Amino acid sequence: MSDLPNLDFDSMTVAEFEQYLPELFASQESGHLSDDPRLAKFLAANPDCAALVRDLETIAETAKSLFVSEEEPSDSVWSNIANKLKQQTGDGDDPVDLSE
Amino acid sequence: MGLQGLQTMQTKPNAGLFKRNPPIAGEAEAIERAKAGDPDAFSKLYSLHKRRVYTLCLRMLGNVSEAEDMTQEAFLHLFRKLGSFRGESAFSTWLHRLTVNLVLMHLRKKGLQLVSLEETINPSEEDAPKRDFGSRDTQLAGSVDRVTLERAVASLPPGYRMVFVLHDVEGFEHNEIATMLECSTGNSKSQLHKARLKLRELLRHPDQLPETESSREVVQ
Repeated sequence: MSDLPNLDFDSMTVAEFEQYLPELFASQESGHLSDDPRLAKFLAANPDCAALVRDLETIAETAKSLFVSEEEPSDSVWSNIANKLKQQTGDGDDPVDLSE
Repeated sequence: MGLQGLQTMQTKPNAGLFKRNPPIAGEAEAIERAKAGDPDAFSKLYSLHKRRVYTLCLRMLGNVSEAEDMTQEAFLHLFRKLGSFRGESAFSTWLHRLTVNLVLMHLRKKGLQLVSLEETINPSEEDAPKRDFGSRDTQLAGSVDRVTLERAVASLPPGYRMVFVLHDVEGFEHNEIATMLECSTGNSKSQLHKARLKLRELLRHPDQLPETESSREVVQ
């Protein structure tokens, strides 16, 4: 946590927690801040902060599943691409077959 | 950052994106054939990557028509630049960056200032997440389903949405996002955090979330 000051995690105030939370999350490769043993005591003493951490972890974790969720462009997208490439690459005598 | 930045970024492959973008069967051959001008090979590359590119555009732009236009632009640009792909990163990662940069340039051209440091990323006061982040009445009831999160993301202010999609969905790191958005890594971290806080607020009332444009079109 090189960007974090020398925080005393056990005596950290809620305001300090709020201030450094973006950096705390960014410093966790796993994204699971609630697993950080240094925060265990603070989160146990501040259940609202613990709930916040859990919620943000849930959001970040669910977001990963959006990566594999894909939508299909309409067929006209490829038609337009193929037409433009024909214009760019063909001289009219030898049109390129760009059927998908 | 202009498209020239793609060449620089290609030399610094992101291990995370490699993990998320494993090689696709037949892709390498299609790339080499497409480089040599084989139209069938380019068509194959389109088939392999159209969904990823289009979905990325749709999430970043929140608009089906614009997303399709940008998908078209991305593949036309790919056709012109394919010869410069050196294979130092996964092809899908390279295409991904190319697409992100095209979308960002498009947004800048629109004058929306979505991606410059202050106004672009910073939403208006009413869009900002509320400060009482720790209070119990803002807590989520439980797990979040993917469809609801997708709708909430679409409801985010554009600047928040951009950073959230790039980091939490697409897997870019803060230093990469900072380069792309021409802001500091601290700004990227801060905006991501605010985006998540805003999502937390939005997700507490999923019934109030608007349908995404794509889902509306499916219904129509």
